[in-house]
Amino acid sequence: MNARIDFHIHSCLSPCASLEMSPRTIVALSKAAGIDCIALTDHGCTENLPAFHQACTEVGMACLYGLEASSAEEVHVLCLFDDLNRAMDFGRMIYSHLPDQPNDPKLFGNQPVVTVDENVTRFVRKLLNTGTDISFFDLVPLALEAGALCIPSHIDREMCGAISHLGFLPDLPYDAVEVVREIDPEIARRWPVVRFSDSHHPDQIARRFTEIETEAFTVPALRESFQRLLLK
Amino acid sequence: MRTSELIFPSLQCVQRALHDAEITGGYTSDLLSDVMAHLKEGDVLITIQAHKNTIAVASLTGAPAVIFCHGRTATPDVLDAAAKENIAVFISSVSQYETTCALAAALKM
Repeated sequence: MNARIDFHIHSCLSPCASLEMSPRTIVALSKAAGIDCIALTDHGCTENLPAFHQACTEVGMACLYGLEASSAEEVHVLCLFDDLNRAMDFGRMIYSHLPDQPNDPKLFGNQPVVTVDENVTRFVRKLLNTGTDISFFDLVPLALEAGALCIPSHIDREMCGAISHLGFLPDLPYDAVEVVREIDPEIARRWPVVRFSDSHHPDQIARRFTEIETEAFTVPALRESFQRLLLK
Repeated sequence: MRTSELIFPSLQCVQRALHDAEITGGYTSDLLSDVMAHLKEGDVLITIQAHKNTIAVASLTGAPAVIFCHGRTATPDVLDAAAKENIAVFISSVSQYETTCALAAALKM
């Protein structure tokens, strides 16, 4: 089937994301924009995935369960699971590798964990947009071994992009690389290139998405469909 | 030395802080997690990370000023954030290393 996918979206949990980015709002706006499959990818934490799962199930929106992990070099990596429990386990592990730096709500927002009915159950204590102590070179195999699709985020962006922070894109088996601007043909020949919204606010939903041809919205099927995006 | 007194040849003050604060040292880094772990209150942050997050981190750690090096510019959202957090914004036309040396000389360290 042909599908429009957006696998890089932040909820209200992520630092600097709008409080309006509840799971239900994300799902509704994505559906209205014609997106067929979405992923929630909060910074360093998966605690809003259960509510996200419920919100997607309510309206029959296909989804993946993810997070945006930050390596020790502050390179961002999307880690996407087709299994909620596996995603939560991975998210707890990533959270444990964040420094013990408490959040400052005045600067970064409250980092609220919410129910599908948009009730706040608690606030996450550690600041979520810091780097873990896991090197990028270890984070990528870690995510793949845990059963995730592994996609370095916005590789061509200066802030938290692999090329800016590492000097070049290391030769690792990513499932795809996310870009914001132009595709570098050298990169596009070696790794599938995708574009996602990286939404932190409702008006950013679906501003970028990728069209693919896939058998199913599972990690193996999507991995295969990404290969078809390679530049010949 | 107060932020209003900080001056050396490659340095340009882009925006003063509303309330002048004391500078007691400097910290040079382009990794914001590293800055959060090590910058001491009163240190000027020297970096090429010229974006809004840098201002938030400077506020969190008690940096009275930031210097964006190597000709990086401060965009309006950065200046707005800095004004809110009472952080002076400077730009330096030279590298992080040369800026650090110049700051150290200015502070006579």
